[in-house]
Amino acid sequence: MMNEYKGQDILEFNYLSEEERHDVIDLMPPADYCAQEQVTAESVKESATAVEFKPAKRHMGQKIKNRISNTIIYVVLCLMSIIWLIPFVCILLESFRVESTSQVGYIIPKEWGFDNYINLFTKTKFLRWMGNTFFLGLAVSVLQTAFVLSMSYVLSRFKFRGRKSLMNLMLILGMFPGFLTLILIYNLLNGWGMTGENSVFGLILVYVASSGMGYYVSKGFFDTISKSLDEAARIDGATRFQIFYKIIMPLAKPIVIYTILTAFMAPWGDFVMAKYIAHNSSAGFNVAVGLQNLIATEESKATNYTMFCAGGVVVAVPITVLFMLLQKYYVAGVTGGAVKG
Amino acid sequence: MATIKLTNVKKVYEKNAKPAVQDFNLEIKDKEFVVFVGPSGCGKSTTLRMVAGLEEISGGTIEIDGVVVNDLQPKDRDIAMVFQNYALYPHLTVFENMAFPLRLKKVPQDEVYKRVTNAAEILGITEYLTRRPRALSGGQRQRVAIGRAMVRESKVFLMDEPLSNLDAKLRNQMRAEIILLRKKIDSTFIYVTHDQTEAMTLGDRIVIMKDGFIQQVGTPNEVFEWPDNLFVAEFIGAPKMNTFKSELIREGDNYYVMAFGVKMPVDGIKAQKLYEKDVQSQEIILGVRPEHIDLTNRNNPNSIVCTVLVNEMMGSEIHLHVVTESGEELIVRVPTVDISVEQRSALVTGTKVLITFRGKVMHFFDPVTEENLLTREDLYSEVMGEEANEEVVSE
Amino acid sequence: MKQLDTLSYLKLSKIQKIGYKLASFFCAIPKWFVGLFLKLWGFIKAIGLKIADTCVDIVKTFKNGSWKTRVSFLVMGFGSVMFGQWLRGLLFFAFEVVFIIYMIFAGAHWLSQLGTLGTKLPTTEDVYNPVFDDTVETTIPGDSSFKILLYSLLTIFFIIAFIYTWRVNIKQCRINEEILASGRKVKSTKEDMKAVLDDQFHKTLLSLPLIGILVFTVMPIIFMILVAFTNYDASHPGNGYANLFTWVGFENFNLLLDFGGGKTFAFGEILAWTLIWAFFATFTNYFLGMFVAMMINKKGIRLKKVWRTILVITIAIPQFISLLYVSNLFADNGVVNGILLKLNIIDKEHIIHFWGETGQNPWLPRMMVILINIWVGIPYLMLITTGILMNIPQDLYEQSRIDGANAWQQYTKITLPYMLFVTGPYLLTSFVGNINNFNIIYLLTGGGPDNPKLIVDGTIAGDTDLLITWLFDLTTGASANYKLSSVIGILIFLVVAIISLVVYNILPSNRREGDFS
Repeated sequence: MMNEYKGQDILEFNYLSEEERHDVIDLMPPADYCAQEQVTAESVKESATAVEFKPAKRHMGQKIKNRISNTIIYVVLCLMSIIWLIPFVCILLESFRVESTSQVGYIIPKEWGFDNYINLFTKTKFLRWMGNTFFLGLAVSVLQTAFVLSMSYVLSRFKFRGRKSLMNLMLILGMFPGFLTLILIYNLLNGWGMTGENSVFGLILVYVASSGMGYYVSKGFFDTISKSLDEAARIDGATRFQIFYKIIMPLAKPIVIYTILTAFMAPWGDFVMAKYIAHNSSAGFNVAVGLQNLIATEESKATNYTMFCAGGVVVAVPITVLFMLLQKYYVAGVTGGAVKG
Repeated sequence: MATIKLTNVKKVYEKNAKPAVQDFNLEIKDKEFVVFVGPSGCGKSTTLRMVAGLEEISGGTIEIDGVVVNDLQPKDRDIAMVFQNYALYPHLTVFENMAFPLRLKKVPQDEVYKRVTNAAEILGITEYLTRRPRALSGGQRQRVAIGRAMVRESKVFLMDEPLSNLDAKLRNQMRAEIILLRKKIDSTFIYVTHDQTEAMTLGDRIVIMKDGFIQQVGTPNEVFEWPDNLFVAEFIGAPKMNTFKSELIREGDNYYVMAFGVKMPVDGIKAQKLYEKDVQSQEIILGVRPEHIDLTNRNNPNSIVCTVLVNEMMGSEIHLHVVTESGEELIVRVPTVDISVEQRSALVTGTKVLITFRGKVMHFFDPVTEENLLTREDLYSEVMGEEANEEVVSE
Repeated sequence: MKQLDTLSYLKLSKIQKIGYKLASFFCAIPKWFVGLFLKLWGFIKAIGLKIADTCVDIVKTFKNGSWKTRVSFLVMGFGSVMFGQWLRGLLFFAFEVVFIIYMIFAGAHWLSQLGTLGTKLPTTEDVYNPVFDDTVETTIPGDSSFKILLYSLLTIFFIIAFIYTWRVNIKQCRINEEILASGRKVKSTKEDMKAVLDDQFHKTLLSLPLIGILVFTVMPIIFMILVAFTNYDASHPGNGYANLFTWVGFENFNLLLDFGGGKTFAFGEILAWTLIWAFFATFTNYFLGMFVAMMINKKGIRLKKVWRTILVITIAIPQFISLLYVSNLFADNGVVNGILLKLNIIDKEHIIHFWGETGQNPWLPRMMVILINIWVGIPYLMLITTGILMNIPQDLYEQSRIDGANAWQQYTKITLPYMLFVTGPYLLTSFVGNINNFNIIYLLTGGGPDNPKLIVDGTIAGDTDLLITWLFDLTTGASANYKLSSVIGILIFLVVAIISLVVYNILPSNRREGDFS
């Protein structure tokens, strides 16, 4: 029956004959329509030729203009380079000054020497401070990276109840100024014996404990990794843990390096927490507190100023080199963070 | 060896929100190739992902081989899946990408090598095995994704719009390849697409969905010839079916439709069935496929005057967009071989033509429910004979 | 106000459009606040309903549950063990035991003193001392208000945690019974352990970071909020050896905000300067940084990498070095004054006090910190904006050139809207960051010069003091004034929260997502 039905349909498919068709099509000469089209085509051609001349004229002026503006830009950039580099050149020069250890009204030393560097290592606990900071940097970068990555991975990938509220809570907590809780944290750490000489451990705790709240940048990065990769891996038989370390971690290398880099660099510059927790026990200082302590008062500034400069150079050089090596990851992280907000 | 049975499956994303999928009932036979098709947001992908275990099932059960898999993890369901964006692991080579599921299962290296190279050969990607996905073209990536699913040799093969990221030419080529591939892979397929052409060419059966509900399930022929409702009728077939308000008129034993002031007779099996069902005169939505409209001449009493809007020359056929005097737009499909070159060039914008509908292949839809007046079962029993009739009854 | 439809809006002239936008913005504010309160109310209502639901569920569980479940109401974890989940059960039970022991031996004691924060002052007594083999005058510590407040808070945390765990314990029983009733199997301990790395992996990953945040952020913040309502300061240290501190209600807020006091409104002045500073610090950096990035990015400029690297060095060098050094460069006896002296631009009596002097115009040091902040900030902004500038679709510029736009028009019509759109949220965070920008001010001026007019409760603030540096001084200074610093902290939070809320709601990035993509 089906065949029959279909067959009928196809059989009926006898189209009209040629002559018949000529009859049915009532030709309507579309004369005016065509004419209109021709006009537009011509006008387009005309306008095209008109345009052709313009850029050529402009070109000459443009070139000269361009050269002038480029020159101005070069001048501005050169000036900027000087302004941005001068303090660092000055600090380097002053660190070699021998004739006076206090502040003076000039830059280029009258007498050159390594005295400041030698004094720094022999007369202060600078090595200890460096050691403290280095240890701090290593510990914090490992732990903080683990915390931040866990947090951002979970918030990017898992849909669980309370996820939104958790993110909102952290947003709200972030609006409280950090130093508000200084006194309590000091008392807590003091109770656990993690201040003064042992302030390194206290600092590790403080830096790492709340670091989960800084998940924004890496979450933004994780969000750009397609979720279907996770799904494909789940179907392929991977557990969540395997997805984390076999798929996501290798893909997140730039952001892992960014997190490590920023975590490692933070203790070298941090100053407030470190000072408060070390509480006048110079064995527990990091470099920032130690060096600042050298010039904290007018009297100590008179004797230690050039030493401070030397210390600054010793700290800045390795950090800068490290930073420059990993610059590309830092830029990626910073830019991504700004766009994601 | 894998049947899939979905019973009353339901998916609700948020409490009190409209369900993404509901009342989904379907039995898929072993080694069947089923295509879920529908406009975006119709719930087809959601259903597929529930079968895969990537989405939780809000209600109902899904069985694979008689085992309820609602609580099972995707990895425990023995399924393979191909994703729309391929989901290849960018940091792994093609070989490692394809070997990944096997490595997780701790399959010995020899076996991994054998299975991966074997699949690569079938798909013609052997020479790319050491490359990374980034260095491959879209079509090659798609092959790798299929290969990764193949090496698992799983019971069920799921594909979520696998071709929609490819350009038109490549898509046609891959479509043909999937048809061939299917014969080599011994599993049950569920394939999701929004493209009705893909659905028609690939599927043994097609599941047409809209707003979370199944509209119709059937073979490509069934859904094309006997659409259950207006949506299916318009969705399947290209160019799409012309539909417009009309009137069904019964005069004794004869049926007519009023189309743009012209009374056209209904004949053939449809008229017979209308009579058997004792359908009275009523308002309807009339559906006529573009290929069932003919250009005609003045001698034909059932001709409608139209003006040509656009003439789309497709090569083998012309899609003629015409507008009736009452302002209704219709598409007429004219096979190129049927008319001469002069006639073709005469069919420009503004030309007046006469058209007529074929009385046997019109579709009548209820204007309120949008259901087809003649259900598939009405026509089915006639076509398939007694056997089909029994099946219908038993259902 | 009448809402215009799209077409009549388009008919307006440019000025009318701006006026219309402004008017509709201000008209929307009351509605917006109403919306906010409704949201808050909805939130509170939702919580209330949730608690009610939970209570109903608990009662129902008890009514319908088997004896295993009912015993779990008293002995936590009993049900879990009976259903075969011995690990969960043991953990529940252990928690209950620990909680009861803690409450009996410590928790109750601390909580009972929360109302007064201690009453017993330290006393001096003659006590027998075995070292000297004699009675020695010894100070016997009294109550420590600090400890009472802290441990009471911890106890309350603990109680909340206990109630939550108890609830989970009961819910688990109910779920298990439901699963068994439907003929499925409950998760075994082995499956539970596997889930730690799979299904429940997020809980595993979150546990440590969240505990850290709870102990080192949430708890301290709540503690300090409570401190704002006490008289905790240097004369009331409450450490067991001196005066106790106690609750004083809103007195500290009154002290700081000086309702109707008629004295100089120190808080208002410092807040005003803080906001001015944040505004300038954010936008000078933003626009100048973008400008520098555009200069370096310009086609035809060579050595792009060199220029960038020079600027980036400033980021690499720890701020305490660069800022302390710069601070000294501009000090009264610093290099800059030295050079100016040598060039005879100034004489010894009239050296320039770049960092200000008490009684002098406060705007010179304020200008200086803003300028130095530009020096610090431009490299960051240069890095950030470079990336985004390069992402602007080039065809936008090509199209605009065909449309006849000049460079300035391109900047105002394409570059700037795009940048503002993309970096809107960043601007907000950076504004907030600048409100709390401690390093620059502290390392450059230390908040100075002191301004005797800015005096609250006996402590003096400086001309360049931001709220945050003021807070720091109050916390760490010689006459530590913890109660005031807590109040300031709360007020900073309020300021930041209000600004964030308002800006967030008018930011285009949140509404017209994808306009530029």
